[in-house]
Amino acid sequence: MIEALAYAVIALAGVAVIWGFVTAAINKPPGKAQLLFAAGLEIVTVVQSIIAAAKLAAGFRPVEMATTIGYLIGIVILIPIAWFWANAERNRFSGIVLAVAALAVLAMTLRLLVLWTPAT
Amino acid sequence: MTDGPTQPTDSTVRKTNSGAGRVLVAVYGIFALAATARASVQLLTKFEEAPLAYLLSALAALVYIVATITLARGTRASRRVALVAIIIELVGVISVGTLSVVDAEAFPRATVWSVYGIGYGFVPLVLPILGLAWLWHTRPDMP
Repeated sequence: MIEALAYAVIALAGVAVIWGFVTAAINKPPGKAQLLFAAGLEIVTVVQSIIAAAKLAAGFRPVEMATTIGYLIGIVILIPIAWFWANAERNRFSGIVLAVAALAVLAMTLRLLVLWTPAT
Repeated sequence: MTDGPTQPTDSTVRKTNSGAGRVLVAVYGIFALAATARASVQLLTKFEEAPLAYLLSALAALVYIVATITLARGTRASRRVALVAIIIELVGVISVGTLSVVDAEAFPRATVWSVYGIGYGFVPLVLPILGLAWLWHTRPDMP
């Protein structure tokens, strides 16, 4: 984990959450820019998981190894599934589906920051 | 007899996987993932520590998986299974939540349902209520 990258994920996810609720509030499906933004969030999230995995491979040992690995894998599959689910029926609720997934990415990144403490 | 919006009874199909139901399925899916991952880690790495709590953790995971799939399918048969799963979920979160408060010794480590899902912003407590409300809202018309 790199703290600056984690905060970037949190910020991007936060914007995605708000964006999703905004398009729902004005009764519109997510637009192209919004979908691209979600894709961008996914890319940064994947980069974060790869860097963390590399650090684990290099010998870093967090207190809860198994849980950390679970989070690093789980966090990258949320946005792609939500993307598919949101686009299969496009309406105001598509935005909320994306928002829910982004919120989960945000919460999981916060949790990862806590999990990322070396085992003594 | 005309209170409320009138709906054509023959052509109206209110499916559990449409409209707001898609958000519900998304939230259930996230909890299916979270509970499954959590239960797997618990059962595989430290089962002896608290077998009862971790088996309940696995039950929670199973319930979320079944509810996610059945709500996402949205057929008449699947909504019956969803109803059973969500009732088990509601009973589970209330009983495990209460047990974890009253007898904390039996639940030394957190599960999804501990203290009514406090670790997940109490969403596990609200979710089955929303699920039941949604099943009621989308109930098929009686013949």
